[in-house]
Amino acid sequence: MKIRADILRIYQSVHTWTGITTGLLLFIGFFAGAITMFASSIDKWATPPSHQLSQVETTQYDELLRRAFVQYPESQNGIRVSFEEGQSPITWYQQGNARGLSLDKQLWHGTLNESGELEAHTSYINELSSLVDYLHRSAGIAGEIGHDQAGVYVLGVAAILYFVALVSGVIFLLPTLVKSFFALRDKKGASRFWLDTHNLIGITSLPFHIIIAITVIVFAFHDFLYDGLGKLYGDKPLFGREAPSAVEFKVENLPSIEEIMEKARAYAPEHQIKEITLSRLNSKGPSASIQLVSDEHLMRGPKTDFLFMNPYTFEISTSSVMNGDQGIWGAVVTTLFGLHFGSYGGEFGRWAYFIMGILGAVLFYTGNLLWLEKRRKQKQPEQSKSSRVMGKLTIGVAMGSLLGVAAAFALTKWTALTTMNINVVYMWVYYLCFGFTLIAAFVIGMSKTAIWSQRAIAILCFSLPLTSVIAFAIPSLGIWPATAWSSIGLELTAMILGVIFWRMADKTKHRAYNGEANSIWFIGQHKTECELQTQSV
Amino acid sequence: MSRLSQAEKVQPDWLGKTLAGIILGLALSFGLVGLFAWLGSDGLTQTISVEKHSWRTQFNMWMVSPIWLLILSFVFMFKNYKQAVLWLGGANIVVYVLLYFVRGMA
Repeated sequence: MKIRADILRIYQSVHTWTGITTGLLLFIGFFAGAITMFASSIDKWATPPSHQLSQVETTQYDELLRRAFVQYPESQNGIRVSFEEGQSPITWYQQGNARGLSLDKQLWHGTLNESGELEAHTSYINELSSLVDYLHRSAGIAGEIGHDQAGVYVLGVAAILYFVALVSGVIFLLPTLVKSFFALRDKKGASRFWLDTHNLIGITSLPFHIIIAITVIVFAFHDFLYDGLGKLYGDKPLFGREAPSAVEFKVENLPSIEEIMEKARAYAPEHQIKEITLSRLNSKGPSASIQLVSDEHLMRGPKTDFLFMNPYTFEISTSSVMNGDQGIWGAVVTTLFGLHFGSYGGEFGRWAYFIMGILGAVLFYTGNLLWLEKRRKQKQPEQSKSSRVMGKLTIGVAMGSLLGVAAAFALTKWTALTTMNINVVYMWVYYLCFGFTLIAAFVIGMSKTAIWSQRAIAILCFSLPLTSVIAFAIPSLGIWPATAWSSIGLELTAMILGVIFWRMADKTKHRAYNGEANSIWFIGQHKTECELQTQSV
Repeated sequence: MSRLSQAEKVQPDWLGKTLAGIILGLALSFGLVGLFAWLGSDGLTQTISVEKHSWRTQFNMWMVSPIWLLILSFVFMFKNYKQAVLWLGGANIVVYVLLYFVRGMA
């Protein structure tokens, strides 16, 4: 396809600038996002089995709730009933709520013991998957604006540039697309190889990236967009309201859980009920938020579909399962959410999204490497300042964030041996690793930092299965080994990642000491004129 | 392909075009979604259920950014920033005048 040279040049500049300013932020967002695909498995792996209490019989939930409401009245404001094996049957927060990342959330777990008494204990819930999710949504940029993390808005702006980068990248790739699409030239120098990798990933996962860019912008700026829309609506309301109930509901009159589930099943017969959160039970606006799961449907949430119901009257206000009066609009909006979260296609879908997320991170990393290669002065060892700074930033940020997450995973089970609040430990560990790697890149140089940080990440990855082996060998330590399939899968994945990072370190080392001398990577001995001459003879 | 003379070439005009894409593009996108919100099916002049209305509004909100992003991405195709401002500004005037009449009739 022919495109005029002047237009190509303009879009090449657009792509370079939008790419280089957002690449590192998006790198963190993508690799962390890929990991969050397995949030449930991660929390299961990271939480000591003793934190969960045993499930109760289906017939016992009402009795359990009744006792909890009496002994812990604060649970009437919000209590979660879970039907999953391996989860405590009921949980409620003493302080805080389920949203957001707070480090000292105290969650109560409750169950019935053998004599039918309520047994409850509190525990700090492990936030390992929340830490990763926090990085995913904010790239680790701390601080709050309004009701959201500042980083969410930063990533929102980055996503705008990212969309423009996608379009401009496609435009200036079009003329050569057919010729070099499936070419992966690894013998024609680093620059060619990175370019082919970058293009191949970019084009094959383009639909995924377009969806991600648009959804991230909406997640960040929906308040602003609704405000603007409100102006266009004039005196029409954005969201209509059901007439509020005149009666004040009382928890004593709460129907049985089985009745509530019956109504939910009638509405969504193909879904399984995962949990029900009952809130504001003594008020005019009580709510039962029901989480529904189905591998055969595209779900609206990260892991589930939802259904909102008044638990006393069974009136369904709305649901992301298309069985009410949502029209085509509900289907489209739900689809957009589902396509971001990858909550369709069950286990296979999760793996596909995990891989696409990782490939996304590779896309941005290779984009930065390309930028560096392109600016490489091939005739002289001294490289430009912008290249040197960008090289250090690329290694420092990318490897620093990976190292931080790897360290958080590696320390999880060992920290449980102490009395420290694991979530505070995670934050310290992540930011220390990140800061240390970034500083190291500027102090000892990008190549050395790349080599040791990649080795460190590999070792931390290897330590996950090793911890399980130690736990099996010395049970008296009190560490729980991976026994569930999902936990074993997690540790095997870590092992594979460890091998990849170890090999990356080898490659980086080779380039740093034996590669082309006129490069920001090079830290080996510069050969003298005389040696070069003898070599060429 | 014959070489284009300097006057025929597309000018980068980074600042002007970018600003036109951001500001006029966003206004145009809101305007188009507004028209669709009033005139499209299940529009604001019709009586629909509270549930459907809520999803329709969510859908409208979702549509603003893709339209805006496409305008912002292709704004650099304009020959220079004056053309960009002229075309996008003109489109805005048309859309908002229409919107004014549509809302007046409702």
